[in-house]
Amino acid sequence: MLGRASLRGRGVLRRSLVIWVKAAVSRALIRVIAMYGDPLWIVVNVGGPMLTSLALAFLYRLAGLSNLTGFAILGGGMVAYWGNVLWSMASQLNWDKRSGMLYLYIASPAPLTALLIGMSLGGILGTLPSSVAVLVIGTLLFKPPFSPPTMTVALVFMLTLLALYGMGIALSSLYLILGRESEEINEALYEPISFLSGIYFPSIGRLSPLPLAVQAVASLIPLTLGMDALRRTLFYAEGLAELWPNIAALAAMAAASILIGLRTLSFIERRGRETGDILVAMK
Amino acid sequence: MANVVAENLTRVFETKSKRLVALDNVSFEVQIGEVFGLLGPNGAGKTTLIRILTTLLLPTSGRALVGGFDVVKEAKKVRSIIGFSSSSERVGFDFVTARRNLWFFSQLYGTPTSEAKRRIEELATLLEFQDQLDRKLYTLTTGYRQRLNIARAFINDPQVVFFDEPTNGMDVFSAKKVRELFVKEAKTNSRTIFLATHNMFEAEEVCDRVAIIDRGRILAIDSPENLKSSLSKPVVLFETDIAGASIGDPTQLEGVVGGTIKVDNESEAAKIRVILRDEDYLERVLQLLEKRGIRVFNYQRIEPTLEDVFISLVGAGFAERERSVEA
Repeated sequence: MLGRASLRGRGVLRRSLVIWVKAAVSRALIRVIAMYGDPLWIVVNVGGPMLTSLALAFLYRLAGLSNLTGFAILGGGMVAYWGNVLWSMASQLNWDKRSGMLYLYIASPAPLTALLIGMSLGGILGTLPSSVAVLVIGTLLFKPPFSPPTMTVALVFMLTLLALYGMGIALSSLYLILGRESEEINEALYEPISFLSGIYFPSIGRLSPLPLAVQAVASLIPLTLGMDALRRTLFYAEGLAELWPNIAALAAMAAASILIGLRTLSFIERRGRETGDILVAMK
Repeated sequence: MANVVAENLTRVFETKSKRLVALDNVSFEVQIGEVFGLLGPNGAGKTTLIRILTTLLLPTSGRALVGGFDVVKEAKKVRSIIGFSSSSERVGFDFVTARRNLWFFSQLYGTPTSEAKRRIEELATLLEFQDQLDRKLYTLTTGYRQRLNIARAFINDPQVVFFDEPTNGMDVFSAKKVRELFVKEAKTNSRTIFLATHNMFEAEEVCDRVAIIDRGRILAIDSPENLKSSLSKPVVLFETDIAGASIGDPTQLEGVVGGTIKVDNESEAAKIRVILRDEDYLERVLQLLEKRGIRVFNYQRIEPTLEDVFISLVGAGFAERERSVEA
């Protein structure tokens, strides 16, 4: 028979779990609603990547490389996630801190980790339609040759997102310590990482135009490994046997960045309660 | 029964060059169903105290219980039974409706959606913004956004609700609605309302008891009536010409315990409000003013306010105190 303390413990655990799930789901939903409630967001996040990807696909075609137009279209589909991770995910807690929302989160029983996971989930779901729109329109216009999507594609895609949003969680925690500099860091990171990760062209591997040393650096970015694996499986029909190093590295990066992010977050929250500096936006 | 207990709470902020005692040995109790006001000028320690009671900040020493839970050791339990709102925070997400925003905050407490929906309707009715519920936040006027902010603090059916300057910058009508809600929620639903304010009128109007706080110390705690009646010294208001402003610090006048000067540049007049040691000093103050070439149009003994209580305790008004803290 279960003791009273054990039953109470289960009740507390169940209640904590309910709060965790509700906080994460509601944050995800709010993110999706907020994304589509802002007409400018739709223009920037669907229109922007679409135009860039179409322009690059035209260039590939003009250069007589019609078989590579798929690189540009795939890049257009994935770039929105990268922008979302940096501008919505990484900066979010810092913005919340500056606007005074963060302490409402902290003063509630919902853990910040649930809110961050919810934010990621909302970011993924909210970006999905724009990503699909770019892929569908690009495919219809350029008809790039690609292998039919397999389970490997789905696995690589999911791991890439996991590693990417894990990076978002880690940055989000680190940005809490910063003030307005976080926006400057984002500006500084966006283009170089977009370039190094080879969103629109292969930045690592045999087709890469970059020197080996640069390729080695680029390989440390989860987006690089994800894009490389997606290209290889979609356009060169490679499977798990060839892609396992990418898959293992992506899984390790995802786990490490999520762990670092969540650890940093609880450290910052604890330190914030001691020093009061996490609440700078509060009077 | 006490819902909020503070025992010798102290909070010190230390940097390399500075040591600031924001709270100094603060002790008090607040009962269930009580509207409790924390009255003091900016920089008195009100926000620090609220931050500690809402688990956002750790005390340097001392102990605080909210709903019977220790704010340091049982922060999670405290968080699930409190509501919190401050005039300085963002209300919610701009591109989301008021209803969805309130629902979102209810989810942070694990409230079932059906219960949350019922509470949203109820609070919107009480604060009269039902017709604004389905509008996106950025389209709401400041008054409605502020009412939404107050509603948010009650969304989780809290035992204790903390407000930090809740009606700051609010229009008169909205502020009235909010004050009515505070009293109703405390008396009808047995909540404890903890209100930090520097608005004397608000403290007098809604609070069952008021703690006067200055430089991190609680100087007095009692009902507004008792605090005012405890001030046995006469309060006199002199209406003078603009030269009255030249006095600077009214305590320089003989027999004056404390006071404030308000200058109206448009009508070129000054209002000198002073607390006298006793009635006998009235003539002497009048003579002193005349001697300094200040024309007194009118003077009268007036009913003391909570600010007069504050002045009698620290020798200066809120504005003067805030200026000295800033300096």
